[in-house]
Amino acid sequence: MKHTLLALAALTGFATAASAQEMVFTSWGGTTQDAQAASWAAPFTAASGVNVVQDGPTDYGKIKAMVEAGAVTWDVVDAEFDWALQAGGQGLLEPLDFTVIDKTRLDPRFVSDFAVGSFYYSFVLGWNPANFPDAKPATLADLFDTAKFPGKRTFYKWSAPGVIEAALLADGVAPEALYPLDLDRAFKKLDTIKADIIWWEGGAQSQQLLASGEAPIGFFWNGRLAALAADGQEVGVSWDQNITAADALVVPKGTKNREAAMKFISEATSARGQADFAAASGYAPINTGSAELMDPAVRATLPDAQTAVQVNADLAYWAAHRDEIGTRWYAWQAQ
Amino acid sequence: MPATTAPRLRGSGFGFALPAILLLLAFFVIPVAMLLTRSLTEPEPGLQNYITLLGSTTYAKIFFNTFFVAGVVTAITVLIAFPVAWTLAILPKGWAAVLFAVILLSMWTNLLARTYAWMVLLQQTGLINRMLMGLGLIDQPLQLTNNLVGVTIGMVYIMLPFMILPLLGVIQKIDPAILQAAALCGATKGQALRRVLVPLAAPGIASGALMVFVMSLGYYVTPSLLGGTANMMLAELIAQQVQSLVNWGMGGAAAFLLLVVTLGLYAVQLRFFERGEAG
Repeated sequence: MKHTLLALAALTGFATAASAQEMVFTSWGGTTQDAQAASWAAPFTAASGVNVVQDGPTDYGKIKAMVEAGAVTWDVVDAEFDWALQAGGQGLLEPLDFTVIDKTRLDPRFVSDFAVGSFYYSFVLGWNPANFPDAKPATLADLFDTAKFPGKRTFYKWSAPGVIEAALLADGVAPEALYPLDLDRAFKKLDTIKADIIWWEGGAQSQQLLASGEAPIGFFWNGRLAALAADGQEVGVSWDQNITAADALVVPKGTKNREAAMKFISEATSARGQADFAAASGYAPINTGSAELMDPAVRATLPDAQTAVQVNADLAYWAAHRDEIGTRWYAWQAQ
Repeated sequence: MPATTAPRLRGSGFGFALPAILLLLAFFVIPVAMLLTRSLTEPEPGLQNYITLLGSTTYAKIFFNTFFVAGVVTAITVLIAFPVAWTLAILPKGWAAVLFAVILLSMWTNLLARTYAWMVLLQQTGLINRMLMGLGLIDQPLQLTNNLVGVTIGMVYIMLPFMILPLLGVIQKIDPAILQAAALCGATKGQALRRVLVPLAAPGIASGALMVFVMSLGYYVTPSLLGGTANMMLAELIAQQVQSLVNWGMGGAAAFLLLVVTLGLYAVQLRFFERGEAG
């Protein structure tokens, strides 16, 4: 009896040790990370036996500090694509192993040596119908027109592709003439509504501002508006000149779980993983095989059903000018 | 035997403090030194981070905002905390304990939760605006968040206990009979307050005010959630530089300047107290 117990204990101990392999996935929290955990981490753990610990929010300063200190505790990180391109060039990321990750079916817009798309999304014009019962905002020009559509408007606080492009488009710049960005013109346009801007720092805050009517109109990640609508909140959305940008999956340089990280990314970017995540989050898949796996009714609500009125932010341009634009952006905000 | 106890006690006292000193050395002093180094070496060796910070009007405005907000918060906190501390000192023991518990309880609630609660209360469709409109006092909602008003309300609320506690310590030592004496000598209530109570409580006001001022200088969560970018403070600038622009050099320089100012104010406080005790 004693021996059996000992053997059992040894076996259990062994089993625990075997299944204790872990990796850490870091993303932005909220409904988006919940969907990533369900659509990517759960099937990955089931297939590989590697447990995925969720952490967050993504913090570029932390990644740089980890890599430089040689103490990397994040194995796969969801980051903005333009940052990922820049960070890859600066040696902060592991090159991706495309013998593990099948890139043949990935949208080439979102594939580079150090980063593959996590999902792509659109910035869209959203409004609260309770505040605008008569005329409906329809264009980016309306977003900047405080006479026609009075009230506070909310925009993404951090320097990133989206708001500057929107200002230029609203000012009449043609989509194909956006780049190189005319920052003087963009800030001049933004100046006209500066006193009416409330900045949102994260998706949850953007939802709260819109639903409460604190900011009855604004420029949002499409998935966050879809989530509000799914909660029963009345939301107006205009896809006219929706501006796409993408998130990327990256592996910080020096991770101790490189192999598991590559396999995780392979699972996350698979047709099935991308289709499930898209259905759960409202963001678009970057795997060209996902569309056929999805319910057509759900697909119709995603950014990739809106390509006719879509403007693609130039992520390579952003990667090259990130610091310069960011410095100016924050200085302008504080003025 | 008794002669040897004192030195030995002093020695072991240092031994007891050693873990705390090592902890601070490893997790505060050394990282700060590294941050300072980065601010002087990134992106290139030199003082350019400091020159940029001190030379641009934008950053000058952020410095001004930081001191302005901290000053406003400190002044209002003193005005609110003083009567509370006085009440605590003169209330019967049981009631004082209840009031004291209420004040402490607010300190024990999560900071982020409290700040979000203020957002919900203060927003345009929030409880306060709806109540004022329901009472017919206003017809347009007041703008109470994303500006100086929001930051001030949120921060004063958080700082109050840090002002009340040092004030209470000083006020409790004041003999109420002194005020009676003042009245007997013909002082009005206002005169008794201005010329007797406030001067006697001055050391408590000064230490509380400095504590609140210094804490406010480095505050991040509340200004970031309840304020707008128009009154951006230094801690937000540091967050932008480090998190978004990944510019440790500039972030480090801003953090180091904030630390220097804080230490300067602490030196003022120390000197004030030494003089107070000597006199």
